[in-house]
Amino acid sequence: MYIEDRQDVINACRFCFMCRHLDPVGNVTFRESDTPRGRALIIDRMRMDRECMKEPDFIDALYRSALSAANRFHCVSHYDETGLVLAARREIAGAGLAPEKAKALAKELEEAGFTVKGKGNVLYYGEFPALYPGCKILSGKDPGKALEVLGFEAASKKVFARFKKTVADSACKTLVVAEPSSYDFLRDKLPGVKVLHSAEYLLEQGAKKARARKAVYLESDFLKNYCGNPSAPRELLKALGYTLVPFGTNCEESYAVGEGAVVYDALNPELCQKLCSRVYGLAVDCKKTLFITASPRVRDALKKYNPAFNVVTLEEAIDAMQS
Amino acid sequence: MTPKNYLYEMVRSELTWAVGDDNVQTNKADQLGHSIDYYWVPELWHDRGEKPTEPDFVVHPANTKEVSEILKIANTHKIPVTPWGGGSGSQGGALPIYGGIVLDMKRMNKVLNIDKVSMTATVEVGINTQHLEWEMEKAGCSTMHFPASIACATLGGFIAHRGTGVLSTKYGKMEDMIMSLEVVTPTGEIINTLPVPRHASGPSLTELYLGSEGTLGVVTKATLKIHPIPESRKFHAFLFKTMHDAMTAGSKIMTSRLRPCVIRLYDETETAKLVKRVLGIDRKGAYLVFGFDGPGEMVDLEMAQACAICEDGALEDLGTEAGQNWWDNRYKFFYPPYMFHMPQAFGTLDTVATFSNIEKVYWAMKNAVNENFPQATFIGHFSHWYEWGCMLYARFIIDTPPQDPNEAVALYNRIWDTAIRAAIKEGGVINEHHGVGLKLGRMMKELYGPAFTVLESVKKALDPNNIMNPGKMGFPGKGA
Repeated sequence: MYIEDRQDVINACRFCFMCRHLDPVGNVTFRESDTPRGRALIIDRMRMDRECMKEPDFIDALYRSALSAANRFHCVSHYDETGLVLAARREIAGAGLAPEKAKALAKELEEAGFTVKGKGNVLYYGEFPALYPGCKILSGKDPGKALEVLGFEAASKKVFARFKKTVADSACKTLVVAEPSSYDFLRDKLPGVKVLHSAEYLLEQGAKKARARKAVYLESDFLKNYCGNPSAPRELLKALGYTLVPFGTNCEESYAVGEGAVVYDALNPELCQKLCSRVYGLAVDCKKTLFITASPRVRDALKKYNPAFNVVTLEEAIDAMQS
Repeated sequence: MTPKNYLYEMVRSELTWAVGDDNVQTNKADQLGHSIDYYWVPELWHDRGEKPTEPDFVVHPANTKEVSEILKIANTHKIPVTPWGGGSGSQGGALPIYGGIVLDMKRMNKVLNIDKVSMTATVEVGINTQHLEWEMEKAGCSTMHFPASIACATLGGFIAHRGTGVLSTKYGKMEDMIMSLEVVTPTGEIINTLPVPRHASGPSLTELYLGSEGTLGVVTKATLKIHPIPESRKFHAFLFKTMHDAMTAGSKIMTSRLRPCVIRLYDETETAKLVKRVLGIDRKGAYLVFGFDGPGEMVDLEMAQACAICEDGALEDLGTEAGQNWWDNRYKFFYPPYMFHMPQAFGTLDTVATFSNIEKVYWAMKNAVNENFPQATFIGHFSHWYEWGCMLYARFIIDTPPQDPNEAVALYNRIWDTAIRAAIKEGGVINEHHGVGLKLGRMMKELYGPAFTVLESVKKALDPNNIMNPGKMGFPGKGA
């Protein structure tokens, strides 16, 4: 049983309130079940009484989580509450109890196939091939991360096996990944292949300062809180001439509108809209201020609920400066 | 209340009419979340597989008018209402012990006005206090309210039980920070207390609601003092051979009218256990740390005077680094695994007394716990210092309490009763900033004596149907 393996996290989080101020969903729904403590209590109840695993209200709460690791990062002992929720989701999905919407999403994601085109020693996996001349281009949907966070472990492994074979067939020893969730998923999973985030690769290629421009860099939940907070995205933007201005009231909270849950908008559109509204509300001027995100998914969500919101991805921001 | 019966559905439909469908929760996930706060007893029950009482409805009002509507509905149907802020109170004050409505205030979280001329801010009290502090810092000022629960609790929660923060010695407790309040009375009227706290227009209504723990109405807005960010803040730590030596130095700092922002003194046991574990300072003795803030020159001057007082009797000058280390890690004590946790039984016997009495209180409590409950460890530190005395943050810990939850709770309550009675006998007041809640309600008559009838009369007059947080603060429970 997965949740029993996380007993230390259950014990630490179920009665602890110390990171609740950083839960992005709790901060917009104000519900106790949308806090790390609330979810740990639910999972503890499931652990004690397996029948509770079938409780739709409990399942719903666990699938409402945005899986932001801001809380884990804040905790002085870094207890992994998101890992605990993922463990519970694996059990729920494994028992066939995942919400219908999650099941439908999983079915779509299971179909993912991958193709490689072009020539080169470096393989690029993202939405902006024009920035990567001389690279082979890997196309396809999510490599298995989305299925993993939904709790569909076996399906995730199958999709990843297809992805891994595609990478192996390409004979490339370097893989450049743009989407932070995919980068997080792949970086330790491909022995013999160097996995770089697109910002790291593009910084290595050299960036020339074009012109001065102010922008807000919306920190990626995955890069900042899961992947050791690499400096490459900020260094790259600064090298190009962007002056990064602070956003919100603090540097701890995740403004990544559900990035940690990968397919959050597809699963919980109403909540994703609320997360986006919080970001819009904190912006001084949504139209004038340029927002830059590492994640195309975050961009899509922020654009979806306010088309006038001036947000681009890192790669689009680079392209805008270079063209 | 039984779900799906006529009354339940009537109340539910009235509540959803008042605040909207999305803001009335009747689901099991939220009911579980609201059945356990930071009080040890519901934690124990959950740990042992028991189910604490859950609310029937969790309601999230967006504004004062909605709070008023909810209280009118509750009055009509005579349903208990338990206000809930962050849920991190340690006294069980936010537990819906009779079910009914939990009034979760977190949706009322706006900063309404920052008055830089008067240095005040008006806010809705459902705001998380870390969020509030961030908002103030963005505006170039600070609440100077830095409790260990800053990230957990709401401003309303602090108002409800007269909370305090680390810098209370200079900036005061919640009752010193608040200018005025907006309150919804139990019968649904919206009132405001006078706009300034210093006046001669009768007794202070603001003071009536400060510490009333949701038993006399619902505080919805507050105007509080804010402060400039100090130019300098410095800390210094000393080690004393005994707690008594350190207390002598600490009280001298206060009675000489120096103005530290914080003093904290750990007894020998807590120095050996927690200070060593959290701060890595491995010494025998009593650890004393203090700080000053304000204009740089004044800080240096006051710091020099305080250090001179301590140098007289200290075993070791631990220096500024050890002081700064404490400040930087001041919240770490309260995170897992540093904080006490299940299966341990633990309680904070928070007591305040004058300098003449505080050590007597300490020894009376310590002896009472040690002599009657050999299985318990007693530790303590002194925080929140005033010109006349200070607060003892005493704690008892039992590593392996009885497995049977009833036996464990009985033992827990016996320790509380014994320690509190020992403290009261020596002039201690239970308590300084955690509040009364469910845990200490039974001691209120003993603590107040005949004066408690005044509070009881106020409660009866303001809340004739006893809907507001019944069974807390020593007031009658539902049906009493």
